[in-house]
Amino acid sequence: MSGPAETAGEPMTAEKSETVGKPVAAGPAAGRRGALVRAVTAHRGRLAVAALLAVACYLPFQLVPFHVFQLTMVLVYAVALLGLNLLVGHAGQISLGHGAFFAVGAYGTAIMIDRWDAPHLATLPVAAAAAFALGLAFGLPAVRLHGLYLALVTLAIAVFLVPLLKRFESVTGGSMGLTLGKPAPPAWTGLAEDQWLYFLALAVAVVTFLLARGLLRSRVGRALHAVRDDEAAAEVMGVRLSFHKTLAFAWSAMFAGAAGSVYTWVIGFVSPDSFSVTLSITLLAGIVVGGLGSLAGPLLGGLFVMFVPSISQDVNEAAPGVVFGLLIIAVMYVAPAGLAGLAARLARSTMRILRKG
Amino acid sequence: MAGFLQQVIEGLGAGAIYASLALALVLIHRFTGIVNFAQGELAMFSTYVAWQFTAAGLPFWAALPLTLAVSFAGGMLIERVVIRPVEGAPELTVVIVTVGLFIFVNAAAGWIWSFLIKDFPNPFPVGAVEAGGLTVSHSTLGVLAVVGAVMGLLYLLFRHTKVGLGMRAVAADPVSARLVGVRVGRTLALGWGLAATVGAVSGVLVAPLLFLEPNMMGGVLIYAFAAATLGGFDSPGGAVVGGLVVGVAETLAGAYVGFVGSDLKVGVPLAVILCVLLLRPQGLFGRAAVERA
Amino acid sequence: MSGDFLTVTDLHAGYGDARVLHGVDLAVGRGEICAILGPNGAGKTTLLRALSGMVRVRGGVRLDGTALAGRPPDALARLGVAHVPEGRGTFTPLTVEENLRLGAFTRRDRDGIEADLERVCAYFPVLRARLGQVAGSLSGGEQQMLAIGRALMLRPRLLLLDEPSLGLAPLVTAELFRIVRTVNEQERTTVVVVEQNAHLALDVAHRAHVLESGRIVLSGSAARLRADEQVARSYLGYRV
Repeated sequence: MSGPAETAGEPMTAEKSETVGKPVAAGPAAGRRGALVRAVTAHRGRLAVAALLAVACYLPFQLVPFHVFQLTMVLVYAVALLGLNLLVGHAGQISLGHGAFFAVGAYGTAIMIDRWDAPHLATLPVAAAAAFALGLAFGLPAVRLHGLYLALVTLAIAVFLVPLLKRFESVTGGSMGLTLGKPAPPAWTGLAEDQWLYFLALAVAVVTFLLARGLLRSRVGRALHAVRDDEAAAEVMGVRLSFHKTLAFAWSAMFAGAAGSVYTWVIGFVSPDSFSVTLSITLLAGIVVGGLGSLAGPLLGGLFVMFVPSISQDVNEAAPGVVFGLLIIAVMYVAPAGLAGLAARLARSTMRILRKG
Repeated sequence: MAGFLQQVIEGLGAGAIYASLALALVLIHRFTGIVNFAQGELAMFSTYVAWQFTAAGLPFWAALPLTLAVSFAGGMLIERVVIRPVEGAPELTVVIVTVGLFIFVNAAAGWIWSFLIKDFPNPFPVGAVEAGGLTVSHSTLGVLAVVGAVMGLLYLLFRHTKVGLGMRAVAADPVSARLVGVRVGRTLALGWGLAATVGAVSGVLVAPLLFLEPNMMGGVLIYAFAAATLGGFDSPGGAVVGGLVVGVAETLAGAYVGFVGSDLKVGVPLAVILCVLLLRPQGLFGRAAVERA
Repeated sequence: MSGDFLTVTDLHAGYGDARVLHGVDLAVGRGEICAILGPNGAGKTTLLRALSGMVRVRGGVRLDGTALAGRPPDALARLGVAHVPEGRGTFTPLTVEENLRLGAFTRRDRDGIEADLERVCAYFPVLRARLGQVAGSLSGGEQQMLAIGRALMLRPRLLLLDEPSLGLAPLVTAELFRIVRTVNEQERTTVVVVEQNAHLALDVAHRAHVLESGRIVLSGSAARLRADEQVARSYLGYRV
């Protein structure tokens, strides 16, 4: 495949913006305000993250538990989308079965808690590792070929998973699923259960975001971008394509698995029908609309996946699907960088106005 | 032995349906290089159109040609409106657009006709032919006959008509096709229309066996993908052979492999896809070399 | 030059931002063979592509009074412009006969097509022997014959040949040019041929033009250009 140059041409805006925003417009007359604007522009990525984190820590003390729960789910989806973003946005591969890896993480955690009374937090690394291993196993045959086959294989996995979960009833609880206790907030925190879950999800989200960013800035990230932008050239340059693509798939499966693990903590219940193909497709829709290839994309996608269905559901049972479908197509036509791309564009023009101000 | 043959026959009946959807997938892939993930949903939508006609009082065999005509026009329209803007875009973009189309068509059908299941009339008479200890239901015979007829018609179209020759020219080399005067854009739309029509046949055939509901084709699509992968994504004949093989394999696995049973049969297409990718990525009849990474 | 069959005036063309032709003026008489000579990268292939609608153009192109500029290739094929492209554009998975019939895709006169199939096979007997064979299995020279044969199936008013000699043995090339000449003499087909091998081109052509950096720098009868010292030095490889 030729690599989604167009889909992902823009996407690095989130990181590029730091260079774009470097002080160039400092005219002689630009006084103190100019210096402030310069400082803001130079560090605006970091400032935005800090502000976002501050708000994120403040919110659970202001919202009713149901809304805290919703935000917790946004974070869970964001972690899964982070993985999908790595694969689709950065490696240019497509997965229609990320819900399956999410499910592996969710069930992994559920089974560990159900069978061995494992402490909640300890289940996450194990569940994530399991998803990583599965990603590696399925990635090997699919990824070395044309990008399309990964989409086929992952879709087939997603379809196969539900009956598989139902079959191994003794372990998975079959169609009835498994019901589990939620992690109790330690007394010293003074937090309510919903708040504690929220902060756990937030912590996982922050760690995975840092991990993903580290990955993308390392040699691996550069190799992935090379693969995405021009496979042939990347190969000539000596990038071991299949190795990096398989690894990208495994990493992205791992993130989905981690998200699934947190999902189980938060919901306290797993059943096969929660992890149907619909989940996989919803995740893909989320990352496409959120913004392929940018670090903000998963978060925006998480908000989208969480709130758009619940809002549009009131109109009609089918409305979320109609909205998802139309938005995916529309994004591909007009804004391949998704919501994140639009936000970055908006931020750029705001900054321009500020500087000119 | 008779029991085994009986299973093979059942498998062929199921396989013929997979074959027809796989045929639709392969048609589009040959002309445009696109794998249309929405193909199953388009077939489902066509089936609802057929249901609407019969609900309005038309006999099935009158509703069918109308449905096929609507599907053909719909397929062409979708190519013009949805696919044309991303023509030539990276494959990832196009795949995502077809996935968007998948979601949209699925939901639109649910919106129009609700997610409640509907009965779809069986076009074939109840009963079966018995010979040599084997029972072949009229329904199975009918499905095989219809898919055979579709194959035959497509063969005639491609081998013996000018339109078909133009379509094959576009599939082989769009630039040269344009140079000799083939209207490539129109031909691509024609390809989508044709694929939607063939897909509609599969939907109409499968609906009486399952129930008509918006998610009806989701499972079938996976089998069709396996069939197309097995046969080779650029080989219409391969799609049919692949469909029959997958159908038989699925039925036999369900009947004779205790572990698989009826509920895990949907693992068969996954296994088929993985095996083909490992052993013969271009499929049994695929000519084009598969791009290796 | 009111008698000209093909007139090109101030033709500009290019790919994206890269402009290749910078105002080409050209006139070809009816029934003439016109050779376009020039170094690599001069824009010869682009000129042919511009004439057959494969690249966007600015400027005027008229064929027997009909404006061609801006029309897509399939429309130009219907107007009788046949382009034998660089690399031949063979439909490799199709049979030789199907390739030839595709050349007549825009025609509706069934009897005429059958007669032309016969005629092309008479020009290229090697194709007749391979009608049922898959075109991809032909040798390079055979594929070039097929490409020209396919173009003739259109009964073209204007035949555009892009480097017919490329990659072929000298004997095969000579044969090809002999056939082009025969076709031109018997059917009065107007031909524009782009050719690296200036000897060959000037032998077969009536008139020739030298294209350099996207502009025509020299025009004249083939005989005159053959005698031209500068052409001789640059393209014929010897001093006069």
